[in-house]
Amino acid sequence: MNWKKDVGGWLLASPYVLAATVFFLIPLGWSLSLVFYDWNLIDPVRQFVGLENFRTAFTTSRVLYAFVNTYKYAAIFVPSVVVAALVLALIVQHLPRLKQFFAVGFFLPYLASGVAVGLVVRGILSYDSPFNEFLRATFGSSPRWLRDPTLALVVISAMIVWKFAGYYALIFLAGLQGIPRELYEAACLDGAGPFVQFRRITLPLLYPAFYTVLVLAVGLCFGIFTEPYVLTGGGPRFATHTWQLEIYYQAFDRYRAGYGATVAVLNAVATFVSVLIIRRVVEAWGVRRGFR
Amino acid sequence: MSRARLVKGFVLYAVAIVVLLLMISPYLYMLLQSLAPWREVDRVLFPSTYGWRSYEWLLGGGVGALPRPWLRAWANSALVASVVTFSRVALGAVVGYALAVLAFRGRRLIQNFILFHMFYPGIILLIPAFLLIRSLGLYDTYWAMILPGLVSTWAIFMYANFFRSLPREVIEAARMDGAGELRIIFQIMVPIARPVTAIVFLFLFMERWVELLWDMIVIRDPSKQTLNVLLTTMFGPYGGYPGPLYAAGVLLTFPILILFLIFSRRFVKGVSLVIST
Repeated sequence: MNWKKDVGGWLLASPYVLAATVFFLIPLGWSLSLVFYDWNLIDPVRQFVGLENFRTAFTTSRVLYAFVNTYKYAAIFVPSVVVAALVLALIVQHLPRLKQFFAVGFFLPYLASGVAVGLVVRGILSYDSPFNEFLRATFGSSPRWLRDPTLALVVISAMIVWKFAGYYALIFLAGLQGIPRELYEAACLDGAGPFVQFRRITLPLLYPAFYTVLVLAVGLCFGIFTEPYVLTGGGPRFATHTWQLEIYYQAFDRYRAGYGATVAVLNAVATFVSVLIIRRVVEAWGVRRGFR
Repeated sequence: MSRARLVKGFVLYAVAIVVLLLMISPYLYMLLQSLAPWREVDRVLFPSTYGWRSYEWLLGGGVGALPRPWLRAWANSALVASVVTFSRVALGAVVGYALAVLAFRGRRLIQNFILFHMFYPGIILLIPAFLLIRSLGLYDTYWAMILPGLVSTWAIFMYANFFRSLPREVIEAARMDGAGELRIIFQIMVPIARPVTAIVFLFLFMERWVELLWDMIVIRDPSKQTLNVLLTTMFGPYGGYPGPLYAAGVLLTFPILILFLIFSRRFVKGVSLVIST
């Protein structure tokens, strides 16, 4: 009877066990050995190079650009998306009716393919577009958007803010709905205005939602690929270069499998450490302010 | 209702509508430009007339130097996304049930391993997974896009959590009827788990539909490319035909929007499940 139970359980779990073995464990082992080789994906002979790939990665500027840019993306993206998502959530929360309609509507950008949005952004920012015509008519000139290192970074960050604001707003909305109404009523009786209520009640009680959104948003910056790939190719002058662009370029454009795998490992380490740090910081901040 | 409250409500709705229009404006822009006369594309916000020329050109394969199988690319996307998502949902329910309901030796091991698997950064596996597909002889085949995605740890996790939250009596009652495990899963458990299924299906379908990096590296033949990849590769070469590119963008984006709006009544309820876990 007991072994029959075991067989039944493993049988039903077998699709996962099989998939995890073939597409997780085997590649996992492979990736750990790849980083020590120089290999062009085709040659039958792989050249063992020891730690040479890591040395190269630490001394070339391409990886450094990817590393630094990620924090630049984060510096623009994270605060913007937190504010945007909070505003969207507050709008929905305060609407007496049609909450669901607007929550769903604000979420729609999350469904967009980065490629299709890239198309629209390229069109809107093209020289003869109505938008740039308007800027020229009003201010006398229009910027060269994607050719400008700073603006290109801002444009791509804005695309990602647009995509994720409605999604993160749902997280804030769930937090807002968990705050008991009595707290606001009591505060009102004590003569607290809407701004004091927001600062003293809403923000502290939204702490768990802030935590979730911050961790998700920071982690996201390490996986940016589609938007810069279709719009800037990482340029101009590497201003929008990212980890994933670098991995793709090295492994599938230059056919340096070992080196690409090395950059991927470094990407994972950078992500892990950065997310850990942001978690610690937010937790410490929460403890100090007495939110947790 | 007092006058002040009326004004406040009016302002709130006005703000909400303006923000909503702003959020969906890229979709509207794409749609308008895809229907615009070609000389007006990206030059005028609201075209003087509307027509299907961009769509006819696109679905005719795109004339000129670079004819491309756009319609076929759409079908490729639909095929790959449907097969993968269906499998992920079905296998997610089966494995999730096994982990949540059945008591067998090794269950804890699998549960812990799934957590490790979920949080392991997938980017490290990109190159070795490509090598694996190539050594299996699957490079440039549909299998390359389908096989690695047949099981989703997230789907398993979601179903397992949901089943664990159900009262034991539901399952015991089903067992009493002498139903086999697979029948219990698909005839009793899955129908109960509808909000989970809706949300898992939607998120996974969308995720697969907009996949770019993986499909780009395992497929070379344009007749097997997904619409997302084909559109990416045609960004430069079709630069002089923005109208048809917008039409392709609409074909890429609007099916997901429509699918989502159909599911949206279950959506807000379902999302609270995603967030709470």
